[in-house]
Amino acid sequence: MSARRILALTRRLLQQFRRDHRTLALVFVAPIVILSLVSYLLRGDTTGPKVDLVVEDSAQAAMAVAAEVETSSEIAVTRTDIARARDDLENNRISGYIRLPAGFSERVTRERVVAPEVTVQGDEPGPAETVVKAVQSATGAATTTLVQGQSPRLEPAISYRYGGPSLDTLDYFGSAFIVFIVFFVVYVVTSVAFLRERTQGTLERLMASPLRRLELVFGYMLGFSILALLQSAVVMTYSLAVLHIHNAGNPALMFVVVAVTALMAVNLGIMLSTFARTEFQAVQFIPLVITPQAILAGIIVPISSEPAPLQVVSNVLPLTYAAYAMRDVMIRGAGLDYPPLLLALGVIAAFAALLIVTAGATVRRTVG
Amino acid sequence: MAPNTPAIELTDVTKSFKSLRALDGASLAVDPGEIYGLLGPNGSGKSTLIRMIVGLVRADSGRVRVLGRQMPDMSVLAEVGYMTQQAALYPDLSIVENVRFFAALWGREDGVDAALEVVDLGSRRDSTVATLSGGMRTRASLACAIVHQPKLLLLDEPTVGIDPQLRAQVWDSLAEMAKAGTTILVSSHVMDEAERCQRLALIRAGKVLAEGTVAQLKKKAGVSRLEDAFLKLSEEPAA
Repeated sequence: MSARRILALTRRLLQQFRRDHRTLALVFVAPIVILSLVSYLLRGDTTGPKVDLVVEDSAQAAMAVAAEVETSSEIAVTRTDIARARDDLENNRISGYIRLPAGFSERVTRERVVAPEVTVQGDEPGPAETVVKAVQSATGAATTTLVQGQSPRLEPAISYRYGGPSLDTLDYFGSAFIVFIVFFVVYVVTSVAFLRERTQGTLERLMASPLRRLELVFGYMLGFSILALLQSAVVMTYSLAVLHIHNAGNPALMFVVVAVTALMAVNLGIMLSTFARTEFQAVQFIPLVITPQAILAGIIVPISSEPAPLQVVSNVLPLTYAAYAMRDVMIRGAGLDYPPLLLALGVIAAFAALLIVTAGATVRRTVG
Repeated sequence: MAPNTPAIELTDVTKSFKSLRALDGASLAVDPGEIYGLLGPNGSGKSTLIRMIVGLVRADSGRVRVLGRQMPDMSVLAEVGYMTQQAALYPDLSIVENVRFFAALWGREDGVDAALEVVDLGSRRDSTVATLSGGMRTRASLACAIVHQPKLLLLDEPTVGIDPQLRAQVWDSLAEMAKAGTTILVSSHVMDEAERCQRLALIRAGKVLAEGTVAQLKKKAGVSRLEDAFLKLSEEPAA
C-alpha cells in the first residue's frame, strides 16, 4: 500500500471532475431538483380526493356526521343525491362517495352503530384509504358529542368499484411497476448501444454509406423492439404466474400495453443518445429524464393526489399514460372498448412516433 | 462522367473547427484509376480532407467534386468505399458477419467472399473481431470498405500499427485493385509508403505544399530523398 499512489489517483479524479462540467452540474443540481420535486409532491397543496356526500336522513346524528365530513381537510366533499353520485363514480369524476342512508341516526341511538356506506373506485390505494380514514375521524368526532356514555361502534359498509379489500399493495403498484421497469431497462440498453456505434467509430462508417438517417433509427427501433418484446413477455409471465399480481383484464392486452411502452422507450433511448458523446453522458440522462417520470407518472403517488401544477406536468409525461393504461387493464379489467385505455395507448404510440422522427432529425450526418 | 474528369477535385477548400484551421485553401485532383497518396504529419489535415470527400465534413469555402458530382451528394456514397483511421468494426461479431453487414448496406452481399479473399482472411472468417490482432483488424476493416467494389476507395492511414510484412500485403492488394480500375486515395505519415503511390500530395498545416509523382517532387525540391523534399518544400510558400 502506498499513500502516494492512492493520492495520485484521487487527485487525477478531482482534476477530471473539474473539467467535466456536465457531471458536476448533475452531481449538485440533480439531487436538489429531485428532492424539491418530491417535497412539493408530498407537502404541496392538495385538495385531497374528490368525494360526493349523499345524506338521506335528516335526523340529528346524520346531520352532525355530514357536517364533520364536509369540513374534513383530507377530502374535497360535494353534497349531492345518490343518482348523481353513482354517475360521478361511473365516469371517474370522483374517487368515491359517502352515503348516510335513511335510518342512519336511528341506528346510532338505538343500536349504537354508526353505519355509513362508503363506495370507492379502488383502482388506486391512496384515495380509497383517505376516504375511509376521513369518514372514521368525522364520525368519531360527531358521535362523541352526540352519544353519552359508551361510544358507538363504527361499522362502515365499504364497497369497491374495482379490486376490493383482497387487493394488497403489490396488486395496486405492480401494474404500474411492470411498465416502469420495462421502460427503464429498455431505455438504458438502447441508448448505450446507440452510443457505442459512435464511440467505436462505426457510426462514421455508416454515415459514409448509402444508409439514410431515418433508416438508421428505424433499424435500431426494430432490432431493439424485438428484444424489448421478448423482455415484456418474460416480465409479464413472471408477474402473473410467479408473483400472482392481480389481473382483472386480458393478458394479451397487458402485453400490448407493455409492448407499446417498450417501443416508446426504444425511441427515447435513440433520440437522447444523439445528444450524448459518450456512454457515460447517456447514463447521465437517467436522473434528468427517467427519475422525474418515476416520481410523477402516478406510479407511487396517484396523480389525483398531486398538487395541481404537478398534475399538469404529469399529464405530459409519456410514462403517465403507460401507467394509466396498465391500471386500466389489470385493475379495471378494461378492454379495447374502454375509451380511456384507447386514448392512453394512442398517446404512448404518438410519443413513440414523435421521438423516432426527432431522432432521425437529430442524429448528425457530419462530424464537424 | 467524361473519361478525363478527375475522380476527386478539391479547389481552394478551407475548413475550421472553432479556432483551429484544419484546411487552409487546399487544392488537388485525383485521376481515375490511380493510387494517390496524401502525405503529411499527424494533424496536417489529412483526415479532414478525406472526411470532406465522403461528406462527413462540410467545407467552409471552396469546391469539392467527387466522381464528377458536386458534394455533398449522397448518391456518390454508393460508389465510394471509406476506411476510417481506427478499424471501425463491431467487436462482438465475426469477420464475415461484419463484412456481410456492410455489404448489405450497399446491397452487395455477393461480394463478401471476394472481399475476404483480397485481404487474405478467408480462413479466419468466423473469428470474432475482438480476438483479432491489430493487423487482422485492419484487413477486416479494409474488406468492409471494398466489399461493394467501389469506384473510389478512401483509406485513412490504413497501415498504422501493422508490421512490415502485412503492410506489404495491404499495398499489394491495393495495387491489384487499382489495376482493376479502382481509384484509391490513401493517407499516410510514413514517407517510404509514398513510393507505392503513382502520385501524391504533400500536406502540411492544412495546405497542399506540392502535388506530383515522387520523381517530380524530388526534382522540384532538388533533393534525392522524399523526406528531404518534404522538409525543403515546407520552408517555401505553398505551391
